[in-house]
Amino acid sequence: MRNQVLEMAVKAGAGHIAPSFSCIDILVALYYGGVLRLGSKNPKWVNRDRFILSKGHAAVALYVVLADLGFFPVSELMTFAQNGSRLGAHAEDTIPGVEASTGSLGHGLSIAAGIALSAKMDKKKYRCFVLLGDGESHEGSVWEAAMFAAYHRLNNLIAIVDYNGLSATDFFKNYLEIEPLKKKWEAFGWEVVVVEGHSFKELLRVFNNQHFCSSDNPLVVIALTTKGKGVSFMENNPIWHYRIPVGEELEIARRELLSDK
Amino acid sequence: MKRWVEGMRDAFFRSLYNLARKDKDIILITADTGAICHDEFKQNLSNQYINIGIAEQNMVGVAAGLAISGKIVYIYAIVPFATMRCYEQIRVDLCCMNLPVTIVSIGAGFDYSTLGPTHHGTEDIALMRSLPGMTIYSPSDSLIADFLARVCYRQEGPKYVRLDRTGFPLIYKDEKKIDVSKGFSLLKKGKDLYIIATGRMVYSALQVTKKLSAQSIHTGVIDLFKIKPLNGEMIWEVIKKVGYLVTLEEHFITGGIGSTITEMLVTKRNAPAFKPIGIPVQFCRRYGTREYLQCLNKLDIGSVTKSINEWIKNKNNSHRSPI
Repeated sequence: MRNQVLEMAVKAGAGHIAPSFSCIDILVALYYGGVLRLGSKNPKWVNRDRFILSKGHAAVALYVVLADLGFFPVSELMTFAQNGSRLGAHAEDTIPGVEASTGSLGHGLSIAAGIALSAKMDKKKYRCFVLLGDGESHEGSVWEAAMFAAYHRLNNLIAIVDYNGLSATDFFKNYLEIEPLKKKWEAFGWEVVVVEGHSFKELLRVFNNQHFCSSDNPLVVIALTTKGKGVSFMENNPIWHYRIPVGEELEIARRELLSDK
Repeated sequence: MKRWVEGMRDAFFRSLYNLARKDKDIILITADTGAICHDEFKQNLSNQYINIGIAEQNMVGVAAGLAISGKIVYIYAIVPFATMRCYEQIRVDLCCMNLPVTIVSIGAGFDYSTLGPTHHGTEDIALMRSLPGMTIYSPSDSLIADFLARVCYRQEGPKYVRLDRTGFPLIYKDEKKIDVSKGFSLLKKGKDLYIIATGRMVYSALQVTKKLSAQSIHTGVIDLFKIKPLNGEMIWEVIKKVGYLVTLEEHFITGGIGSTITEMLVTKRNAPAFKPIGIPVQFCRRYGTREYLQCLNKLDIGSVTKSINEWIKNKNNSHRSPI
């Protein structure tokens, strides 16, 4: 899947490769690990679980997953960011399987909280999952939403923070630290679990844990990840937030991803 | 006939309350901003009422999430906070996704005159006008505010309703006279001059009209209660035969109804001479009553009458033959 992301971005000369590599294992755990109760046969099924990609710039990864699951044709993937394509660098609600348009950070948690609240109002069982970037914690609106979700006891809301330590230009500890992140979420009234974000075993252990489903509080999973995971020279290197490899770099990236397979 | 002693805010929310009693999908969210009628919501429809706190960005996002899930959502705050604090959430979460959320704002223009520029509603029309898919309503009295609450319930997509704490005496006697698809009301026909006004300035326009007519300037009044989308063609049909056209609004002179009418007029040949009247583009740092601030900004009935009179007398300002 990482290789598919790479090839789409390379062809388009657009898309966020390293941020997608950071969170793609989380997407795979959610969509293939029996966590999200939904399917492409009935994408608007009223009781489906919802997923919001608040870090909308990882849309290229989400599109690879959704196409593979049949929400739209796999053949469409290579139109990514080409002239006239509906697939672009940020998630659009016009794409089958995408619940909300995102791309501007700090929006997704509020939207997800609204969806979770609606489920409560209608006494429906579905849950809402939302994936945030860690740098997104700089947005004040995230904490407005965090306060709201805890007060309204939205225990059907599960936030996941893709915690790779990097934002668009730098390690944020060099300019605006977000630690202590776990304590912040706890102080806002959330259940907090920290997991290894590239371990399916750990992710699924948390996502399928009944304890959290029975808690009154919303759950945040802080997933420790590596930005650019899977390509050695991209990993933990700030310059790769929005850069497309060319020439020898591209060959190395392809080789590493395919051998990894 | 209903006796109107309430302002347009309470008329709007009373109307909404009556709808919400019948439709459990109607949700009202306030950012810690009150109205008398909200008490009934709180007491009798507590599952449909949320005070979300002083958190307007979250208010818009939560409204979007509710609307995605099938709810019909109304959100409420004072003009600057309902429009500016959360502008980008409105743009992406409501307009981009075309969700049925109605933004209800209170405090048009200098309505909160004693609260200073932080609370003045002077740029909101400009902001909302630039958003794709946004409909803008600006009622001129309590009767039409009551009516528009029901219009917003039926209408898809995002809406912005700009309310005033006043709303009486009434301008309309009967809601059957209000044509939403038309978007404006011809309140008084004119032969020489038309004033297109919005919100409570419609009431002022009617007073100005009396004074101008006494000076043999036969003046008509249009209530532009639906600012976007503008029904430019039908407005043109009404105003094209007069020599002079004025817009009157309690909003900065840039970006409001003066601007939207200008955009329509520049596409026409032989348009009437045009004068937009609004608030000069500067923060008002003086306090006092609304009437006082209107005087300071030359928006009171006397100043508006005088400025129109002088403008018309200056023949050079018109490319039509003077009256």
